[in-house]
Amino acid sequence: MAEYIKLIDVTKCTGCRGCQVACKQWNSLPAEKTIFSGSLQNPKDLTYNTWTLIRYDEVVKDGKLHWVMRHDACMHCDWPACAKACPSPGALVKTPEGAVVHNPQYCIGCKACIAACPFDIPRNNPELEKMAKCTLCYDRITEGKQPACVTACPTGCLTFGLKEDMLEKAHKRAEAVGGTIYPSNPKYETHVMYILPAGVSPKDLQHTNPNPSMPLSVLLWKNLFKPFTLIGMGAVIGGAFLHYLIKGPHEVHETKEGGE
Amino acid sequence: MSAHDTKVYVTDVEERLVHWILAASCLFCVLTGVGLMFHSWSIIPTLLGGYYATKLMHIYSGVVFAGMLVYSYYLWRKDCGFEESDLDWVLKAGGYLWPVKELPPVYKYNAGQKAFFWCLIVTGVVIVVTGLFMWLWNPASVPNVLARIMYMLHAGAVVVLAAFIMIHIYLGTAGNPGTVSAMITGYVTKAWCKTHCPRWYQEKFEKDAQA
Repeated sequence: MAEYIKLIDVTKCTGCRGCQVACKQWNSLPAEKTIFSGSLQNPKDLTYNTWTLIRYDEVVKDGKLHWVMRHDACMHCDWPACAKACPSPGALVKTPEGAVVHNPQYCIGCKACIAACPFDIPRNNPELEKMAKCTLCYDRITEGKQPACVTACPTGCLTFGLKEDMLEKAHKRAEAVGGTIYPSNPKYETHVMYILPAGVSPKDLQHTNPNPSMPLSVLLWKNLFKPFTLIGMGAVIGGAFLHYLIKGPHEVHETKEGGE
Repeated sequence: MSAHDTKVYVTDVEERLVHWILAASCLFCVLTGVGLMFHSWSIIPTLLGGYYATKLMHIYSGVVFAGMLVYSYYLWRKDCGFEESDLDWVLKAGGYLWPVKELPPVYKYNAGQKAFFWCLIVTGVVIVVTGLFMWLWNPASVPNVLARIMYMLHAGAVVVLAAFIMIHIYLGTAGNPGTVSAMITGYVTKAWCKTHCPRWYQEKFEKDAQA
């Protein structure tokens, strides 16, 4: 099965929010009432019913203003921390295409994925006790279609295609505009990539993780403590058997007074 | 000779109830927790009515555990206070591992039992606090960088407590014949009491007898 990447060329984004609307429409997500917060940022953050939005940043660097509009949604990690943390089989699944898909039917609302995500993407609905996030339009891409946000994008900022093609395209474009690719950790691949404009680094932008990786706490939890819960109990039970066989039980002294 | 001539009452009904409610809620939490952590143990959530039901049972059993943990603290904290001779007991591993000529005479609980009690209190508090956090935290107001440390600590404290519980079960049953009745009927034989809690036996029963 071929792997796909959604490439976000931030240099081409005009902040039209077509992607936001297309995502709502395809996924049947209701609109939310928002309030003016003094900037173009609206809605303020991802929610259970808002799986993607444009993040507006005004970055001043070396006396130059960069007005950055960034499409923000699930990064579809190749080694997803959310799925690693999830206790319920089938609730969060990494698919062969590279999409990390949630299935509300199996979600038990434990919020472990929300805690684990290195990009702070999953959102919780406390009433329903379910999480939700972008699925990379898994129901579209498996039918040979593009994700809804990509089809709506009028400027060519959002593109979607085979992993190899998109990687090549990303490097060419980054070189052409003098920008950088984010995320750039070769040990923590994602199926969503950005081309950031020249002079702008992920550190300058809101809601980014400049050095994304599998969180250490999730690794300790799932790769060390989880197995050692059983290994520890098993080792003690085994040790107790050996103790019983070799040293024997500690019998009560019938006559002796004191001594212990 | 009736049972009362050879046996002494060492654990009252309050202590036994608290012990068993604490033990049952704790072991049920371990069972459901393992069922939630290991996808290969899906038989546990399946038998209990699914993953969502298992989550709820894990939480409410945890609430019972939390209540009994606080009760245990007030019930046994004095008897489990460490004293100087406990160090000697620990250095001799309580005579459980290699031959030891003489152990310091124990009052009601030996240093190993006291260590288990304090381990239970410390890891229990970590488990309850992190568990309450995992249950009730609002992702809109708590940074998830902090939240994931709580999930890790919850699992980490369980490693220590679950292993120590297995030691506790062995030493309370097969490892020390005659002990388990202290937590069931509340009675043990006089010989048991003289062997395991000589100082306490002397103070509680022999002084009474003399008077």
